Amino acid sequence: MNFDGRKYVFVIIFTLVGILYASKLFYMQVVDDTWSLRAQQIAEKRREITPPRAVVFDRNGKKIVSNKTYYNLMMVQKNITELDTVAFAKLIGWTELEIRERFAQIVKGEGRYYNKHSGKTTSNYQSIRPYPFIKELTADEMVKIAPHLDNFPGFYKEVTSMRNYPYSNGANILGYLAEVNQREVDEDKFYKPGSRIGRSGIERFYEKEFRGTKGIKYIVTSAMNNVVGSFENGKYDTIALQADPIMLGIDIDLQAYGEKLLKNKRGCIVAIEPSTGEILALISSPNYDPNLLVGNRKIRENYPGLLANPDKPLFPRPLASEYMPGSTLKLLQSLIGLQEGVIDVNSGFPCNKSVVGCHNHPSASNVTDAVKMSCNPYYYAVTRKIIQQKKYKSSYKDSEYGLDRWAKYLNSFGLGKRLDTDITGLRSGVIPDSKYYDKWYGHHKWKFSTIRSISIGQGEVQLTPLQLANVAAIMANRGWYYTPHFVKKLNGDGPKEEYLVKHQTMVERRHFTPVIEGMRRVVYELGGTARRARVEGVEVCGKTGTVENYRGQLKLRNHSVFIAFAPMDNPKIALSVFIENAGGGGGTWAAPVASLMIEQYIYGEVKPSPKEQRILDAILLKKER
Amino acid sequence: MRKNQSVIGNFDWPLFVAYILLLIMGIGTVYSVAFNSEHPNIFDFSQKYGKQIMWLGISLLLGLMVFLIDSDIYRKFAVPIYLFVLSLLIIVLFMPPVNGARAWLGLGSMGVQPAEFAKIGTAILLAKFLSTAKIKQQSRRTVLAANGIILLPMILILLQPDAGTFVVFTAFLFVLYREGISYDPLILPILNAMPIKGLHFKQTWIGTHFIPILFVVIVLSVTTLLFSGSIISLGFIGVEFDGYWGVFFFLFVICAAGYFFMRMIFSRRDRNRALTISVIAFVLSVTLTSVVNYGFQKLAGHQKERIELVLGLREDPNGDDYNRNRAMAAVGSGGLVGKGYRKAIVSSVRTNHVPESETDFIFCPFAEEWGFIGSLILVILYLFVILRIVMIAERQKAIFNRVYAYAFAMILFYHFAINIGMNIEFAPVIGIPLPFFSYGGSSMMSFSMMMFILLKLDSQRNDVLN
Repeated sequence: MNFDGRKYVFVIIFTLVGILYASKLFYMQVVDDTWSLRAQQIAEKRREITPPRAVVFDRNGKKIVSNKTYYNLMMVQKNITELDTVAFAKLIGWTELEIRERFAQIVKGEGRYYNKHSGKTTSNYQSIRPYPFIKELTADEMVKIAPHLDNFPGFYKEVTSMRNYPYSNGANILGYLAEVNQREVDEDKFYKPGSRIGRSGIERFYEKEFRGTKGIKYIVTSAMNNVVGSFENGKYDTIALQADPIMLGIDIDLQAYGEKLLKNKRGCIVAIEPSTGEILALISSPNYDPNLLVGNRKIRENYPGLLANPDKPLFPRPLASEYMPGSTLKLLQSLIGLQEGVIDVNSGFPCNKSVVGCHNHPSASNVTDAVKMSCNPYYYAVTRKIIQQKKYKSSYKDSEYGLDRWAKYLNSFGLGKRLDTDITGLRSGVIPDSKYYDKWYGHHKWKFSTIRSISIGQGEVQLTPLQLANVAAIMANRGWYYTPHFVKKLNGDGPKEEYLVKHQTMVERRHFTPVIEGMRRVVYELGGTARRARVEGVEVCGKTGTVENYRGQLKLRNHSVFIAFAPMDNPKIALSVFIENAGGGGGTWAAPVASLMIEQYIYGEVKPSPKEQRILDAILLKKER
Repeated sequence: MRKNQSVIGNFDWPLFVAYILLLIMGIGTVYSVAFNSEHPNIFDFSQKYGKQIMWLGISLLLGLMVFLIDSDIYRKFAVPIYLFVLSLLIIVLFMPPVNGARAWLGLGSMGVQPAEFAKIGTAILLAKFLSTAKIKQQSRRTVLAANGIILLPMILILLQPDAGTFVVFTAFLFVLYREGISYDPLILPILNAMPIKGLHFKQTWIGTHFIPILFVVIVLSVTTLLFSGSIISLGFIGVEFDGYWGVFFFLFVICAAGYFFMRMIFSRRDRNRALTISVIAFVLSVTLTSVVNYGFQKLAGHQKERIELVLGLREDPNGDDYNRNRAMAAVGSGGLVGKGYRKAIVSSVRTNHVPESETDFIFCPFAEEWGFIGSLILVILYLFVILRIVMIAERQKAIFNRVYAYAFAMILFYHFAINIGMNIEFAPVIGIPLPFFSYGGSSMMSFSMMMFILLKLDSQRNDVLN
């Protein structure tokens, strides 16, 4: 038999297999990109490099926030061979038990993987991956450990950077950084578990401007997850870019001096440059050293104590504490009265103590003197004229109309609404309007006599020290303001555009003249309430406030309040000072503090004086009653 | 003088050139994969590429010897050669195991694998046996002896154990088919012993085409198992269907294509037979795959698991699937033109994502670096070599030469199909080298010797008659 025909069986099989293989190869290599992606997944890793955050300068170019190098002690379990626990414990200064616990903790917790879809958190720990064994070691600590690390295979150091504050001031302005939470990781791809994010202050407000641009390095990894080299010689790599330095309007020396003055006192100082709206200093007391909240280790160590402190050092009082303005509001009552035409410069009202209490002084026969003497009955009368303008027959309806006009005026001074200052944690204060009282008393159930305490800045009116400092700046500017802000230069440019918009109040410039003259007399004339506010060689204008306050029915010591600007012509600084439960009037404590701040800012230093010593020595922290 | 001329004149240059091309591509790939920047010289014998060149030198030397010796000795000494390789296969069983298999003879890196050389011995004895003038092709003795020659080394190899080479030896069965060995002498007695009156077969279709049918059955069964459990998704037309229907559809297409092919080549008279054959083939194959599929689903859990593991259906990161998954990633990431010479990422030895990338998985770095263009050239080159050997086989006057050539072609085809197939999901992961390509002395020497024996036999094809 001849079987030669069978050769075709072979030829056909061989050819078919060849064609089949070539087709499959064509599909796998050219058509389908599944396997290319899989290859990337297997061998290429994206390593993100986070640049150090932007450094911060004060208005005079002094570096107030910088970055410091820290180290993480990393471990890769797979590479650890015969760990001498005793020697290792001695090296890092732990106990053997602590080391074992830390291992267990890493295995259980560090590699946590949160599945967005199932909402389950599972451990993703892999023995070939690096994990930080100890985070945030300082250079000093690392110097002791590093030379001996060769004896402990599987452990190595990794460089990281954290915040450093050369001046221990301005914690409430600067804020602090903390590790991101899961929600933040989900919302913004920039963050990975363990990344740091601005948690308060300007670090939070300007997070995007602070964090810079991440660098991405593509690396080739081996099956053991070791780095073999860069991918295509780094062709696709990008460099991590630190954000441009940020310049604040803060004068760090003024800030530091203010914090020194308020030591052992509860209160705040806010100083603004009236011509620009830049915040020169913002002091909240008691305060804390920002270096206390750098890195997880320190946050864990110090945060609970700060949080539990009854004097609330973490609470940014100048932004979030709402005080009654007391007599400082009389400045605005005068201005509104003049603008509304219900009084004129020479209007006089008798100091009738039967209406509202007052101290002993002659009756004011004009607005200027009324400001100087801070006459309560005078402002009772003025405010009644503002609120009840006799436009309607019904005194209820009349009060409604008048109060709303009054509230609108105050709103134009940045009161009763949140300022757009570049920081988080701001509160709006309260300027009551008709709706506000309608809620309390009912529609047309109240009139001026019901709400009269607002006339002297008591009762429902509340504002923050920042807002009051802004009022001082408006006085200095005679009727306008820029929204107070911290950042003077962003990305080498000016501040955010919104801070270059001039806000005009509803009061004309001409009405400021008599009121400001009154403020000058407060400081310089016999019968003025704040002669302690004088500064040599500078004409200071100011207004005291003495705020009565209660806790429940219990009357506490008065808050001492003062607002001022100086010099009178061409003002350089406007400020508000609150000293809580200081006792005495605004002139006793707040006025001298303001004068020292002005002196510091104008002259760059303060000559030692009994006035300064008295403030530095005063301990007003524990006295509430 | 005349004889010498005829030797040179009958030398098959195309096959030799293709062989040299494969060798060069192979050495280049080994150099790329195993490159050690501290020893950049390709002739550095401390490195795998240096050693591979050394093996190549030895192989060419052996080839030269083969060419100088008269090809008659293979006929004369077929039995001693066969017994020699068998004894080597026995001796190796007493050697210390390397990686769990007693496959290595000799020490350290200079060891050889007798199983590789057993192919030569088996091919020669098979050629000798089938060319012996008056073998009765239908005798039971012939069938048993021919299968015995193949089976004996297979058993010894399985004892090592070396499953890869074991499978490769089944290639010789196709040679029996080409030579017309029918399995009827084994099948007929069983059929005729059945107590059905009037039933007496003289010849069966199954017995005649036993080997191809057996392999079609095996291939269909494996294909069924591979696909029936999965969901086939045709992304580009957005259709998803159960894996078994894919097999069904595939069989239908094959049978329909076969029908039209047969209509083309058959004479007008036989056209009706084409339809019958196609329908029968379709019904039989559908029955077979259904039975396999049903049987598989009915298997006990652990048995099923085992089969799935062998076929690479079960994800086992440390098992076969790991290798294949990474191998496919390496091949697939090559793209159209590849990543460039010595730029393999997944399959480079440095990253070590693909294990054995310089030996069994050497197709990975090649395909990753040269892309589809390179892969296609390699496939074509191999097909050329294999088909050229078939061509050479068919021009031999001597049966001995033809059998030997077919044996060599089939062995090459097996290695080619399985080795490349396991990178592209067309074959199970079986550790066998890619001839002339993979790093390793034994396979290099044995394949080269087979090549040179063939070239020598072919060059003397006019000198011998039987």
